[in-house]
Amino acid sequence: MAIRAMETFVGPARVLIVEDHPVLREVVRMACDASPFLHVVGEARTGEEALEACRTLEPDVVLLDLTLPGMDGLEVARRLRAQEDPVKILVVSGRTDDQTVFESIRAGVDGYLAKTAAVRYITDSLVRVAAGERVFSRDQERAAIAELGRLARRAREASGLTPHITPRELEILRHLGRGLTMRQVANRTGVSARTVEAHIAKLHRKLGVSNRVQALARAADLGLIDLG
Amino acid sequence: MALPRKGAGRPWAERITAMTTPQASEGLDPRLPPTRRLGVVVVDPLPVVRAGLSLLIGDRPDIDVLAEAGTAEEAVEAVRRIRRSQVVMLVGLGLDGEHDSYWLIRTVRERFPGIAVLACGANADPTAISRALFTGADGFVDKNADPVEFLQSLRRVASREMVLAGPPTEWVGAIAEGIERRRMMEMALTAREREVLRVAAEGLTARQIATRLGVQERTVTTHLTRIYDKLGVGSRVAAIRVAAHAGLVSLGTPE
Repeated sequence: MAIRAMETFVGPARVLIVEDHPVLREVVRMACDASPFLHVVGEARTGEEALEACRTLEPDVVLLDLTLPGMDGLEVARRLRAQEDPVKILVVSGRTDDQTVFESIRAGVDGYLAKTAAVRYITDSLVRVAAGERVFSRDQERAAIAELGRLARRAREASGLTPHITPRELEILRHLGRGLTMRQVANRTGVSARTVEAHIAKLHRKLGVSNRVQALARAADLGLIDLG
Repeated sequence: MALPRKGAGRPWAERITAMTTPQASEGLDPRLPPTRRLGVVVVDPLPVVRAGLSLLIGDRPDIDVLAEAGTAEEAVEAVRRIRRSQVVMLVGLGLDGEHDSYWLIRTVRERFPGIAVLACGANADPTAISRALFTGADGFVDKNADPVEFLQSLRRVASREMVLAGPPTEWVGAIAEGIERRRMMEMALTAREREVLRVAAEGLTARQIATRLGVQERTVTTHLTRIYDKLGVGSRVAAIRVAAHAGLVSLGTPE
């Protein structure tokens, strides 16, 4: 990785470290200083300090911790990326949930590492990001894409387009449409009567109705089932 | 149907042929009975594209091409007759007219929720992709994706994994913003107003819109005025441009 960066080597990349934990900050700084490809130009402990430091120092790459006192790290990332010729950002975070990874990628960061990553990996990634590469694992990309899918589904349901009926719910609707009782539906689908009730309650909500007859009529309207 | 082995410039053919071991095809036994194999409906307006995709897809031991369709209506008809459980509809975004690709995605999502929908486009931009996802596609694959990845996308979307193959990771932000814009537009306008805008985007006059929707011309102009107010614009062209930017309508085909 470092060798590839050497092909575009124009001097060490100028790094701004944004991290509120003093020990971690020191560890990363020392590791960067030990690398011929990196040169630490400044450190910041809060979001506001980070934005100010970027303005005055104009680093090539920012190492950004997401959990900062005051302004949230994601907000810092957004503001930095909104600028003309935005600085490259490598996130290092204790948070690795899908939602956070998605929001970071959405904000336009160039890489994402877990805080448990080896320091050597952090410095290597800083060099790569400064050279224009993206540093995301396959898992992170999949997580971000999965979140994108959830965002699309929520947006669709929020705008009142036909809500997403699951295959199981459709099966239950069809049985009800044929006149089966709840008990018969439970037997036919192999779940308890209570589960069937729960599905039906959800269906009523999704279809925007308050009773069985309306549910069937609406479902027929939408072409989900045939009545008669 | 075996892919011809000869010919330069298709290194992927060898890679695909190598993927015949169960491990390579994700633990799938090539001797699976038909009901356990993945069924695909290939939808694209161009016959050559359909043929190419069907050859690529149907050659796999774990996938069958169940039907091809060149229009949205044919696609719906084909899907209605399918009795299998693991089905993916591959929809090219190039269908247009009143029943375009987005109409098809929405219709399949509403009436056949058991079927997974994978949208595919050539050089699609983030807005087209947001529109496909918002409308209900379970994933998007770019036609210039690596063929091996293309096939994997079909399998993954069939197991309900959201797929975005081809577009770079950087586009996630733009796609998410496109979805948000569309959501806000859907909430701002009524269903009727959206319908009027969609038809207006085809370039029809108010009278033609009225005929298409079965209402008075005066009703159409009233709707349009209200739309301009809501969108904060002063002309039909501006309204259509805003709607296109939000992915509510297309201007020309995405391909």
